[in-house]
Amino acid sequence: MDKALLIQLLGSAVAVSLLVAIAAWARIARPTPPLDAEAARALLAVEFPDDPVDALWIAADGAGLVARSGERALVAWRRGDSYVARDLPWAAVLVARPAKGVLVLKAADGAPRLALDDGEAWPPPPFLSREVAA
Amino acid sequence: MKTFDPVQMAIPFFVLAVILEIVLARTGRANARYEARDTAVSLAMGLGSSIAGALMAGVIFAASLWAYQHRVFTIPMTAVWAWALLFFAEDLTYYGFHRLSHERRFWWASHVNHHTSTHYNLSTALRQTWTGGVAGTWLLWLPLSFLGFPPAMVAIQKGISLVYQFWIHTEAIKRMPAWFEAVFNTPSHHRVHHARNPRYLDANYAGVLIIWDRMFGTFIPETDAEPCRYGTVRNLASFNLLTNVFHEWIGIGKDLARSRSAREVLGYVFGPPGWSPDGSRDTSRTLKARWRARMARNEGQGAAERGD
Repeated sequence: MDKALLIQLLGSAVAVSLLVAIAAWARIARPTPPLDAEAARALLAVEFPDDPVDALWIAADGAGLVARSGERALVAWRRGDSYVARDLPWAAVLVARPAKGVLVLKAADGAPRLALDDGEAWPPPPFLSREVAA
Repeated sequence: MKTFDPVQMAIPFFVLAVILEIVLARTGRANARYEARDTAVSLAMGLGSSIAGALMAGVIFAASLWAYQHRVFTIPMTAVWAWALLFFAEDLTYYGFHRLSHERRFWWASHVNHHTSTHYNLSTALRQTWTGGVAGTWLLWLPLSFLGFPPAMVAIQKGISLVYQFWIHTEAIKRMPAWFEAVFNTPSHHRVHHARNPRYLDANYAGVLIIWDRMFGTFIPETDAEPCRYGTVRNLASFNLLTNVFHEWIGIGKDLARSRSAREVLGYVFGPPGWSPDGSRDTSRTLKARWRARMARNEGQGAAERGD
């Protein structure tokens, strides 16, 4: 490889590392406090504006949510300082089984890991009520 | 005339500008958000794009030279009028390239990674494609050489346009003076372009001049009532660099594997992003239609509540 090109590449890699380090040092990411019911519904209104929410569950660490909308599950989870949202068949969410306090759902292009409270069962009570199941 | 690469020359400025934006945001003097992993992906994509560009440069230059050898006119590189003409011609070409890159999936696959950041800061400007050369969008610039603009002149003007577009990737500048907003692409116009709100989809394709969007009906102004949310309609679930680069190409491959007709093949490759045979996926058009319906419904409800 041409020496000048190699030096240029190495210099660029150093510059990239430096800039990432400065970005990390600055701590100027968006604030993403744990989701509460209000924030969760606001997030759903943005990501799934046409889908009525029948029932809502928020992960124990507030970093994700699952909502039922008819026969679909609306799922959102934190990635960095933003959220990713996907929908899944409701049945797939109901049959998911948590392990070691974490529920892993399988979306087509991601696998959100949602934290459960100690001893919390899945599916949680809001998803088992007769009104929702009807 | 001596040639130069405006992008190479501007790299130190890019680095310093990113540092300045971060420091100003850190000290509360500018509106900017940076997330370290997001920044890492943006910058790594910029670096990788330079390498991919260097690998394709020979092919592109050879093709440009061939077009120039068959030119219609001979346009002098030293004439001011020639640079003025090229400025407009190149910028219009960029508009066409950019619109194609958003409205047809094959080219969207190479361009989408410029839009996968959920942030809008100067590092986002450097989140450039690795696969543009393979997608062949550079072919769109060949007519300029065929017309008679020397390939080096076209390359310089392309570089100038790219350097111009760096500074508009920021939230730190709210609005430029009205006359400037009317003519030039600005941070405000380009924020709209990077937004994933249905209201703002498929708009403001400009490079340097926003006049093309105004002329061709793709201009949408930024409104304070609806702040831009950045990223793609379905934000990526990963900071993985290779996922960022190749995910839409992989998506095309998966769709082609289950295609059952020539119509489906053509639709999946050259249809608008989100096209599907049964219409079960969202395209910009369907998202916008649903947004308009929501707005109409909300206005109707508001009018009913007011007793209008």
